[in-house]
Amino acid sequence: MTGMLLHALTIALAVTGALFFLAGTLGLLRLPDFYSRVHAATKCDTVGAGAILLALAIHVAPHPEALKILVLLLLVLLSSPTSGHALARAAHHTGLEPWRRPGERAR
Amino acid sequence: MKKPLVAVTLAAAAVPMLIGVAALPRPGDPTAPAHTHVAAHYIEAGARETGADNRVTAVLLNYRAFDTFGEVLVIFAALAAVIAVRSPATPGGRADDMPGPGPGLPISPVVAFIIRLTAPFIALFGAFVIFRGHVSPGGGFQGGVILGALLVLLSLVLGRGAERPLLAVPLARWLQAAAPLAFTGVGLLGLALTGALLGYPAEPERHALRELMMITLDVGIGIGGAMIILGLFLEMRGD
Repeated sequence: MTGMLLHALTIALAVTGALFFLAGTLGLLRLPDFYSRVHAATKCDTVGAGAILLALAIHVAPHPEALKILVLLLLVLLSSPTSGHALARAAHHTGLEPWRRPGERAR
Repeated sequence: MKKPLVAVTLAAAAVPMLIGVAALPRPGDPTAPAHTHVAAHYIEAGARETGADNRVTAVLLNYRAFDTFGEVLVIFAALAAVIAVRSPATPGGRADDMPGPGPGLPISPVVAFIIRLTAPFIALFGAFVIFRGHVSPGGGFQGGVILGALLVLLSLVLGRGAERPLLAVPLARWLQAAAPLAFTGVGLLGLALTGALLGYPAEPERHALRELMMITLDVGIGIGGAMIILGLFLEMRGD
């Protein structure tokens, strides 16, 4: 019974991760400017990869490999938002203006 | 006059290459020369003959040590070429070719914190990959790349600019040459011990020395590779 529940949780997490990757890729291709694309791409790496790694960790637990996957998850959660932040900060510093709706005035 | 010459030269270079590619054995073909000559011997006797449990290390540092010596020289020559091209003939002569997002942006506190937080773990991992390369996948080249990436990250947080470098330039130059120096030293030691350049003593009572020679090579490759990656980054980022 617990095995089935764990299995269902694994599948649900993996599907969630895949959906986030899909949404992130769509955003990367379709969003209008650099900032929103960085935002979409960073979602992929944190939530998408995070959910899939968590699913894998649950799948192989209680094998010690699960700990390695959790450490990897921690690394992704630290590094991916940091790189997104650094990219957006550098773009802002170079004076790149965020996209606005046609007709909307800059504040 | 020039165009036909170019075409003839290209054809003369391309035709033998295409013939050669067409004559390659199929991937995974068990009768391919790569699988019928020395590979079986390396797999069977590599660990006993070289003392390295990892067969890749055995080939890299023992059977094909001359090739590896050449490789580290190529990597070092790449850095030497970049330094030769980038360095100004007169001090301060490159102030006007400064690309990138202006030098005025201080490092983000978020990035600085994350780099400081992860640096010890990255350093441990790089050292692990270098020393563990003896018995498992890894070694000086791979560990050196990890350490080099760490040095690039740390140079963002701790770097003080080209005027006041953290490491004195002559010392940095010697460390960048660590891999060729390690190969020269170990090679000459082998010459003195066995009569062959880069030879390793095979007697059972000298196994510790043989291991030490290979670890010296791996550490030299690792430190040299890391310093060369950092050197390329600092030379080419334009400040």
